[in-house]
Amino acid sequence: MKQFLLSGVAVLAMTAAVSAQDLPQAASPWFVAGQATIAERLAVQPITGKAKNVILFTADGNGVGTNYAIRLFSGQQAGGLGDDYVQPQETFPHVALVKTYSSNGQTPDSAPTAAAMNSGIKTKNGMINVLDTVNVGDCAAGATAGTKTFAEIVSEMGKSVGVVSTARITHATPAAVYARTVNRDWEDQSGKPADCAQKDIADQLIDQMKAGVIDIAMGGGRAHFLPTGVKDIEDKEGKRTDGRNLVDEATAAGAKVVFGSDDFAALTMGDNAPVLGLFEASHMQYEFDRSGEPSLAEMVEASIKGLQGNENGFYLNVEAGRVDHANHAGNLHRVLVDGKAFADAIAKAMELTNPEDTLIIVTADHEHAITFNGYCGRGSKITGLCMVENEQGVEHTGEANLAADGKPYTVAGFLNGAGSVLVEQADKTFSGSRPDLTEEQAIDPDYLQQALVPMSSETHSGEDVTVFARGPWAHLFGGTIEQNVIFHVMNHAVTAQ
Amino acid sequence: MIRRTLLAALPAAILMRASPLRAAPNDTIRLRDLYNKDTSFSDLALANQGLRVNIGGFMAPPLKAESVFFVLTKMPMAVCPFCEPGMPWPDDLLAVYAKRVIEVIPFNVAITVSGLLELGDYTDPELGFFSKVRLTDATYARA
Repeated sequence: MKQFLLSGVAVLAMTAAVSAQDLPQAASPWFVAGQATIAERLAVQPITGKAKNVILFTADGNGVGTNYAIRLFSGQQAGGLGDDYVQPQETFPHVALVKTYSSNGQTPDSAPTAAAMNSGIKTKNGMINVLDTVNVGDCAAGATAGTKTFAEIVSEMGKSVGVVSTARITHATPAAVYARTVNRDWEDQSGKPADCAQKDIADQLIDQMKAGVIDIAMGGGRAHFLPTGVKDIEDKEGKRTDGRNLVDEATAAGAKVVFGSDDFAALTMGDNAPVLGLFEASHMQYEFDRSGEPSLAEMVEASIKGLQGNENGFYLNVEAGRVDHANHAGNLHRVLVDGKAFADAIAKAMELTNPEDTLIIVTADHEHAITFNGYCGRGSKITGLCMVENEQGVEHTGEANLAADGKPYTVAGFLNGAGSVLVEQADKTFSGSRPDLTEEQAIDPDYLQQALVPMSSETHSGEDVTVFARGPWAHLFGGTIEQNVIFHVMNHAVTAQ
Repeated sequence: MIRRTLLAALPAAILMRASPLRAAPNDTIRLRDLYNKDTSFSDLALANQGLRVNIGGFMAPPLKAESVFFVLTKMPMAVCPFCEPGMPWPDDLLAVYAKRVIEVIPFNVAITVSGLLELGDYTDPELGFFSKVRLTDATYARA
């Protein structure tokens, strides 16, 4: 209470100080909004009770730049100019910048970054929840160098655990909730060396369900649970070469297994049976193309409602996995539609939980080689052309800015990828020039933004990402932190006295 | 409506009534327009089955040298879309069987393919490549 009173005094003092200044800009809406923000910040109080629940949201590949693009897209879809739009996570009171490098990579992949958040350590690219003293792919050394995960820690406290992803549920980010591996690609056993005793990732998920650590797992990746020769409900064949059918094994162990939007909608939660949702043979569909599968928000809603049946609380790990894939493809439109779906899922979690007992963290594992041009007038479509600023008003003039080659250019682009303007010639050299481009072509959902370095798949980058947080101990986030600190905030929040 | 506009619009309107979904000879269809959201064939695809049509897209790196076969994708795409082992092809691609042995065009150069539209499941006996849509007797050029 004392802190609150002090904050109130500060607000009064600030208001008085501003009045005393009698500034000519005091009536400007910008000035008034700035004052309101200060008042809101002064009213923020840390929540220091123990966290009953923790929800960790990761949009794969949603660094500062990608998040900026999603903000503009969401705002423009809502009919505004975009820049001033506020995403749900951007209302959270506590924010930090996150350094994402891995122990051997200036540019990380999603395996060590997810391990950082789930185990509190940095490790090597390609490895999940295994100490970085081990070489990538070294099964024998990895067998004795595994970490204890946050899911296992809270499970011992009696909490339930859920993991949801729009990627394969065996993909790196969700795998870090329940698996330890010296090679992230061993999603089933077919690619694993015959003499490697480490279980594949799909097998580890079923083990963790049987052990009572994982209560809900939903995403794509059916093929890694089915043997070759067995086809799934969409007529796609399994990949396992050991003849095991892990779907049957999960069902036999008492799990409810669902494959599409219809049986997902018919799911009943809360009767203590684990739930396994496998909605695609590989990754779930992009939100732009989605049909017959639940949305990320729907999976989050079902998971939270199911997990809330445990009075001891829960840990839910949510990944928007395909923001990353669309970035890899260089197709900004699908990045942004999946990014908006991610924000919708966050909004649903905010609606269903109380900040007094639930720590919600929103972050990304890494950024991409996404870049932004200037000088664009306000309202330039984030997937479209960079338009000329309007000196007589607010919104752009409708005329595209031209580069030195006399051609227009888009607001966003990629430094590398399949959208490269350099084309392979008959002599194997690469050369080219920027194609002509219209606004209609640029905003087409299948358009690839122009890139420089020719690569079949656009790359991650080592640039910082943001972490946004609300709830118990969220105020421990601040400044510029190492990514593994995210685990330590979660761990402190659930163990605080 | 002024008289000149009305006259210009008339032939198109008559054509539309006669065959609202049939692609005009010089039209280029987008790959995504062949499918509905649930990946079933669109009315446009069904209306043009067996006809010669132009479809825009990109030539994926050929699976085999000295072949008449290549895969047309809606976006530039290399063989391994996300550089992961075993990554499947997307559902919405198109198999092209050209008239002549193909001359490779880089995967990030837009092309237009003209061919006879075939719908229905087919597995190539030589390559084992499964497709739902094909253009046969096809020619192609940079867009």
